Amino acid sequence: MSCPRCQAEEKHCRLEHEGREAGEIIWKVFYCQRCAFTWRDSEPTESIDYEKRDEWFQVDPDQPDQYPHNIPPAKLHKNK
Amino acid sequence: MAGKNKSISSQAKAVAERIHCLRDYLDLLSEHGQFIKWPEAVMPEPDIRKIAVASGRDSMGAPAIMFDNIRGYPGRRMVFGVHGSFSNIALLLGYPKGTSIKELFYELIGRWGSDKPLIDRIKAEDAPVNQNRIESDINLYDVIPLYRVNESDGGFYIGKANIVSRDPLDPENFDKQNVGIYRIQVHGPDQFSLLSVPSHDMAHMIRAAEAEDLPLKIAVMIGNHPAMAMFAATPINYDESEYGYASQMMGSPIQLTTSGNGLDIQAGAEIVIEAELINNKRTLEGPFGEFPGSYSGVRHVPLFKITAISHRDNPIFENIYIGRGWTEHDTLIGLNTCAPVYSQLKESFPEVVAVNALYQHGLTGIISVKNRFAGFAKSVALRALSTPHGLMYLKNLIMVDEFVDPFDLNEVMWALSTRTRASDIHVIPNMPLVLIDPAAEVPGKGHRLIIDATSFMAPDPVGADSKLVMPPSGAEIDELARMVQELQRRAEKS
Ligand SMILES: [Zn+2]
Repeated sequence: MSCPRCQAEEKHCRLEHEGREAGEIIWKVFYCQRCAFTWRDSEPTESIDYEKRDEWFQVDPDQPDQYPHNIPPAKLHKNK
Repeated sequence: MAGKNKSISSQAKAVAERIHCLRDYLDLLSEHGQFIKWPEAVMPEPDIRKIAVASGRDSMGAPAIMFDNIRGYPGRRMVFGVHGSFSNIALLLGYPKGTSIKELFYELIGRWGSDKPLIDRIKAEDAPVNQNRIESDINLYDVIPLYRVNESDGGFYIGKANIVSRDPLDPENFDKQNVGIYRIQVHGPDQFSLLSVPSHDMAHMIRAAEAEDLPLKIAVMIGNHPAMAMFAATPINYDESEYGYASQMMGSPIQLTTSGNGLDIQAGAEIVIEAELINNKRTLEGPFGEFPGSYSGVRHVPLFKITAISHRDNPIFENIYIGRGWTEHDTLIGLNTCAPVYSQLKESFPEVVAVNALYQHGLTGIISVKNRFAGFAKSVALRALSTPHGLMYLKNLIMVDEFVDPFDLNEVMWALSTRTRASDIHVIPNMPLVLIDPAAEVPGKGHRLIIDATSFMAPDPVGADSKLVMPPSGAEIDELARMVQELQRRAEKS
């Protein structure tokens, strides 16, 4: 398993929650600690299969500067 | 904002007085066939999304829909579409379902400033929201059946919460308490991000807390009084309370209690999440399918840590479907977008009859106005562009006659078909424009379009056929003019 959005390895994919009915696991939710993507393993492939996902939605956690700050942290201001 | 100070009708008062929380409103909707429970089990994805899109087709009559059998979330329930149709809004305002949008528009206008803010204080131990409280091993998924709203969203969103916060620099001041709707993305069992436009109150508070190393405590209220959902998004001044405003609009009290972290919350909310800003920490947020019908990009956004969750017995997760319109978002904010533009225009031009700014937060507006003389409607259009909302949002304006109902698109199409000349279409290039308009050539800057679809008017007749005054002239008058000057000179010398 890897992240459907950034292809981070399994060790970065944190198990968030298991959906259960009568003790049986129905689905699992994962969170990518590299790109902050959340997914459920029962979702349609358009959402959770890297190959089937629209390229526009890929995220590269190694290029954080590509993603603007909504509200820059005050710390950054002070360091300048 | 100026209102006509019309009092609220006794029927509307009766409705308002029985509604204290989401459940009361669902009961009212149910009595009028505007609330249904989905009869089958659904998967969180894609079933909820598909049913939401399908019900969005009926903007006049769609019911609120509850799911109480969501696979993997036994015992949890969620509802959407609570404000999903104008019939639902009509019932909230004391009107029968099927009431025209124009009537609801005038009702809203009439309610402005019609009453004093009314707040009922409920003791924390008596507040329904405190029936259950979680302070350790917090896991949002145990309480809320989270799901992906649109297929390419970056995660699971809570899209219809009222978020309350107090100015970290003035935490004792009730009036500096802000209630707003901000989108929330879940980042784990006890963390979430919150997106605020940089100019909004919440952003001011985040900046202040981080600059001064102060704690910023917030409460996220889910499943709210239906007036709070409608009016917390209405832009009001920084020192006005949204609770007060919502109670004024309803003409009945809003019941408040105090949250575990010291904020004023709705006593009858379904779920209240108490949280604290993790100062200077950011996480990637988005994309999220937003109201213009396109996805917002990925940004770094502030992160919050959940400290406690309170909830009613068998809580209801109220959420909203947002995406390409028509959606509940359009019904929820539509009338509140129209009303201030109308009110501001009316101050300058009493000839304005109604303003329809329902579409995509007013990116297209239709204004009904009584033409005073040729070209008058165009002048009104230019004034509309300089109202606070028009400045950034009113991109396309269609001007129609006073007898055309701007909310009835059949009538608007009649005006476009039979009243528009190509020479009455005007483009104003390079104007300011809200960033989220996907059609902008450069984000934040774009063209404005005015279509004058009002009937032909003759030019202002004043002066057109006037008789010229023929003053006396000639040598006698020249001589008299010289005499005036001579008399003036003598007066100077003496
Ligand atoms: Zn990832």
